[in-house]
Amino acid sequence: MKRKNRRLLFVGLGLAALGLAAALILLAFDDNLVFFFSPTEVEGREFTAEQRLRIGGLVEEGSVVRDDDGLTVRFNITDLSTAVAVTYKGVLPDLFDEGQGVIAEGHMLSGGFVANEILAKHDENYMPREVADALKKSGQWQGTEGNVGEEAEE
Amino acid sequence: MVTAFFSLVGRDLRLAMRGGIGSLVAVVFFVIAASLFPLGVGPESALLERIAPGVLWVCALLATMLSLDRMFQDDYDDGSLEVIALGPLPLELVVLAKVLAHWLTTGLPLIIAAPVLAVLLNMSTQGFAVLMISLLLGTPILSLIGSVGAALTVGLKRGGVLISLMVLPLYVPVLIFAVGAVEGAIFGLGAEANLLILAGGFLFFLVLTPPASAAALRMALE
Amino acid sequence: MAVKKKKAGIGIHFFANPARFLRFARKIFPWVTIIAIACIAAALVLGLAVVPADYRQGDAYRIIFVHVPSSWMALMIYVIIAVASAAGFIWRHPLADLVAKSSAPIGACFTLISLVTGSLWGQPMWGTWWVWDARITSMLVLFFLYLGYIALHSAYDDPTKGARAAAILALVGVVNIPIIKFSVDWWNTLHQPATISKFDRPSMDASMIAPLLLMVVGFIAFYLVVLIIRLRSEIAARRIRNLRLAQTGN
Repeated sequence: MKRKNRRLLFVGLGLAALGLAAALILLAFDDNLVFFFSPTEVEGREFTAEQRLRIGGLVEEGSVVRDDDGLTVRFNITDLSTAVAVTYKGVLPDLFDEGQGVIAEGHMLSGGFVANEILAKHDENYMPREVADALKKSGQWQGTEGNVGEEAEE
Repeated sequence: MVTAFFSLVGRDLRLAMRGGIGSLVAVVFFVIAASLFPLGVGPESALLERIAPGVLWVCALLATMLSLDRMFQDDYDDGSLEVIALGPLPLELVVLAKVLAHWLTTGLPLIIAAPVLAVLLNMSTQGFAVLMISLLLGTPILSLIGSVGAALTVGLKRGGVLISLMVLPLYVPVLIFAVGAVEGAIFGLGAEANLLILAGGFLFFLVLTPPASAAALRMALE
Repeated sequence: MAVKKKKAGIGIHFFANPARFLRFARKIFPWVTIIAIACIAAALVLGLAVVPADYRQGDAYRIIFVHVPSSWMALMIYVIIAVASAAGFIWRHPLADLVAKSSAPIGACFTLISLVTGSLWGQPMWGTWWVWDARITSMLVLFFLYLGYIALHSAYDDPTKGARAAAILALVGVVNIPIIKFSVDWWNTLHQPATISKFDRPSMDASMIAPLLLMVVGFIAFYLVVLIIRLRSEIAARRIRNLRLAQTGN
């Protein structure tokens, strides 16, 4: 093979490989990288007690109950259609609050989900208090419902 | 050209064989480093199970990195790199041959040792197959990226430390997607997406790193 | 007429002549300095005193006006380094190499500012100074990329070789930039998603955006100021080196 042809061959092979690489990566994002299950997905499946899981969603309003020992917390994680009951023993992150996004990691046992790690998430919305109140009043509030729920439903 | 390529790979492999234990340093390091973790964090099996994929991958990464500085250095020092560069094989393919030889002598032994260590670290069995696939796709990427670091430091004194500083940040994405794949399999979320990205990344670096390394080598040989 | 012809190639080769660049730099230098000082001062006053507190985070969120612009600068400067490296590598453009070299420490500083302010912000919000979350960790990785670049540059005795070697590293390192940029969207992390990515509905109140954008303009101008100073000293250093070489040659 001539030197020039050889070079053309290499460039062609390289471009083909790059194209394939791009296709694979795009396919991967299409397939979507999931980091946690939504409560609806959990509902439809069977899990053994050994299987570690992550469940993500919003802390259901009015569901947080603290036990007398001051450490154990019970609450529901919801994606606004299904809810999963979660028990967690330990220190909660500061941003943990009703209506806020949360990810729980742990095991599905017979009595519900037992978490051994809780991650809170805060949203990307910034606004003065008056605006937030006004939005809530007018029913246009999209703040905390936005993030985790949306991602979980995708 | 094909014969030249494989004779170069064969030469490197023979050199590695005759190096005795010296060429197995990477895999020995891998085993020792991974077995330090139970001593460091305690033998609690639940904890080990949780961190096993990450520990295995971080150790594989460090082991690969440690072996990088020899990729071109010996040939550069004794002048054979210059002779090879003058030969019929384009420098890009010389780099690929070197990378292949490096992977066969470090990446492959790591892959063979990994399942044993995974058992010792109590890794969840759902992750085994994916761990092997992720190593199979990921360790060649480590060798490819590493070749750039090795080529850039080939003429320098104290190149070894510099290689780590340059190469480790570039290894981070491989680590993230590989561990993501293994954890995805363990958590039942599916590993396909992460493995596809690793495969894409392998092809991507397979094309892009040899010219970069070859450019660096040309500069060193000037 | 020769000047007219040059104008067509203003993009790349116009500044290949350092003297021409220095003349241009002298002209714009006072202006960028004024813009930098005015914008940063205005943004600080607006951001710290005028703009209302956040509905949920209170006053603590005000650090965003430093944090977000410096994160953007950190990423932007790396891209500038990569582009300049490519130009320096392909066309052997002398000024491009110097731009890449002089930008690196500035970019590293912005990365550090972004990490420190992020950590200061994390303390009241997440209750911890540091979390190993994707976005934060990838910014740390960016910081190490900068350090590796600077270290490689200085490891070579011959500055032209150093520039070529560092250019190769910068170009390979570009792969990490999209990963850093999108880490927040791809992985579920504590770090909130980018605020100003949706132009139709930015998730920030209009009153709060003004100081943020002012600060970005101020930071870019500040970058240019420092870059010009560094380039001047680099060019001077190169002249001294050439004079020395000429002297020893005789």
